[in-house]
Amino acid sequence: MLIRDAFKTATRSLSHGKMRSALTMLGIIIGISSVIVLMSIGQSAQNLILGQVQSIGSNLIIITPGAPSGSGFSPPASAQGIVITSLRQQDADALSREPSIDYAVPEVRGQAEAVYGNTNKTIGYTGSTQDVFTVSNLAKVSEGRTFSKSDVDSGNHVVVIGPDLAKSLFGDNVDPLNKSIRIKNVSFRVIGVLSKGGTGAFGVDIGNLVVMPITVAQKQLLGISYFNVIIVQANANYNVDFVKARVTFILQQDHGIINSSKNDFNIQTQADVLSILGTVTSTFTLFLAAIASISLLVGGIGIMNIMLVSVTERTREIGLRKAVGATDSDILQQFLIESVLLTFAGGVIGILLGAAAVGAVYLGISTFSPSLGWSFAFPLSAVLLGLAVSGIAGIAFGIYPARQAGRKNPIDALRYE
Amino acid sequence: MISVRGLEKEYREEETPTKALRGVTFSVEKGEFISIMGPSGSGKSTLLQILSFLDRPTGGAYTFQGKSIDDMTDQELARVRNEDMGFVFQSFNLLSRLSVYDNVEVPLLYSDTLPAKRRTLIEEAVRAVGLADKLHTEAGKLSGGQKQRVAIARALVTEPNVIFADEPTGNLDSRSGLQIMEILKSLHDRGRTVILVTHETQTAEFADRIIRMKDGLVESDVAVTEHVLRGTLK
Repeated sequence: MLIRDAFKTATRSLSHGKMRSALTMLGIIIGISSVIVLMSIGQSAQNLILGQVQSIGSNLIIITPGAPSGSGFSPPASAQGIVITSLRQQDADALSREPSIDYAVPEVRGQAEAVYGNTNKTIGYTGSTQDVFTVSNLAKVSEGRTFSKSDVDSGNHVVVIGPDLAKSLFGDNVDPLNKSIRIKNVSFRVIGVLSKGGTGAFGVDIGNLVVMPITVAQKQLLGISYFNVIIVQANANYNVDFVKARVTFILQQDHGIINSSKNDFNIQTQADVLSILGTVTSTFTLFLAAIASISLLVGGIGIMNIMLVSVTERTREIGLRKAVGATDSDILQQFLIESVLLTFAGGVIGILLGAAAVGAVYLGISTFSPSLGWSFAFPLSAVLLGLAVSGIAGIAFGIYPARQAGRKNPIDALRYE
Repeated sequence: MISVRGLEKEYREEETPTKALRGVTFSVEKGEFISIMGPSGSGKSTLLQILSFLDRPTGGAYTFQGKSIDDMTDQELARVRNEDMGFVFQSFNLLSRLSVYDNVEVPLLYSDTLPAKRRTLIEEAVRAVGLADKLHTEAGKLSGGQKQRVAIARALVTEPNVIFADEPTGNLDSRSGLQIMEILKSLHDRGRTVILVTHETQTAEFADRIIRMKDGLVESDVAVTEHVLRGTLK
């Protein structure tokens, strides 16, 4: 049988039961569109997260205290409640003297309540030097100024606050500049408000961030003399991996470490972080797609069920076709083409519906939360996957009914009532 | 053209074997018109199924155009059914939602006939059964007699050597039945071999020869002219 005739025969059979064909396809349509939507949204989320990390610049190197976690990803020691004090001022000073490094900016971090009048708000604060505004993408201040070297050296109680915090503490009518807020019962003067849309180092949301001179944060709020992190900005003339190697060497010298396995610090470049985040978000996207594929499985079983009913209903037709010369494989081919056409058409409709849903999500987010920077992602891989999966589902779920049809004995089939 | 020697067919259902054919022997020459008659259960339908390659015998020998059925694969049987045999069934077996044209086209879908040549063949076959004006009518909307004529057109379209007809007038009124038999007779007159199963004497009379079956055996195999002379047609 010519393949053209097989397709003509199959489309004719399907078009005779339009409603049934449409309902049969519904499972596949829902399955494929779910996979498409979740993969696309996963991709958008990945783009957003990775984009924020990338926006801070590819020449940054982050040094955290504690031994490296090997090739896998594990939370930093500080997040596990372990206090490691290996990063100190002398490290920052030694790194600053290295010609391949433009800036070595130490940071300490903490959480506290910020209070203004009767209003309070939980915030994350960062203590750093004036250079933190240069190396990380903390954006510009929209009002006021950032703190200066003399503020750091003198330990002035000044803060630059995030835009959301400014709004929630002071409302729309009060100018936050030069107002005094209290953090852990220490009074600080607000000297600047960060502009919207920026990110802290490695993607930290700055909306509720408070940035202050590191000297004040260490002594007044935390009572420590070590750092939680040192951010290094490599000189543009040097390769980042080279600078990473230099940082390692300098810190090993500083800490008197001979064997690399005994390192008490962890160095990550933006590429390392991107790689880890990429793996995490990809796994997440795959996980979502796996959940969506359950509906695809249900849809496929629906197809198989309807095809089995169809084979039974058309037993006499099968008998006739065999009597006039159709072979087992002609019949198998006809029913297989029918199921593949059903699933493939369902797949195409599912992709189109998925694209519409992804577009609607994009429009919704970009209308109601434009500052998020949500991008429209409709990965080609999702489309190809959708088409491939729907085609394969047609074969996988159609083969059994088609074989049943092909094996029918023509005499029994012709006698079937 | 057709030769059967000691043909047997045994059905085995739930361990109880039933012999439908117990050693049938006869031959059919090219261009003959044969009627096979007999009471129900005599084995006439089983015989037709084997002769038309829809089933295989369990004993004896069957050669069709010089080739034994035992030497042929299922695919070869399908090919012979398509190229050399035409089928007319009691219940028409048309695809009711398809047009007359599409129904007649079905055997051609499984043949080597080029798509460009199909239209001519289909139109010729439909014209031969007098339904040229119904070419694009849905088969389900035709009368019983018209349906059977479509079935004959479908049997003719591949220009087979033999036409097998299983009770072709069984579901028709006498007028339509007569028309169908006249068409089969005209096909025979133009050189086709026709093998017909019927239980109606007036239908069987159209043939050259009548084979009567009883209990899985050939009871008699006599030319119609001889029956007329002897007055044994009943």
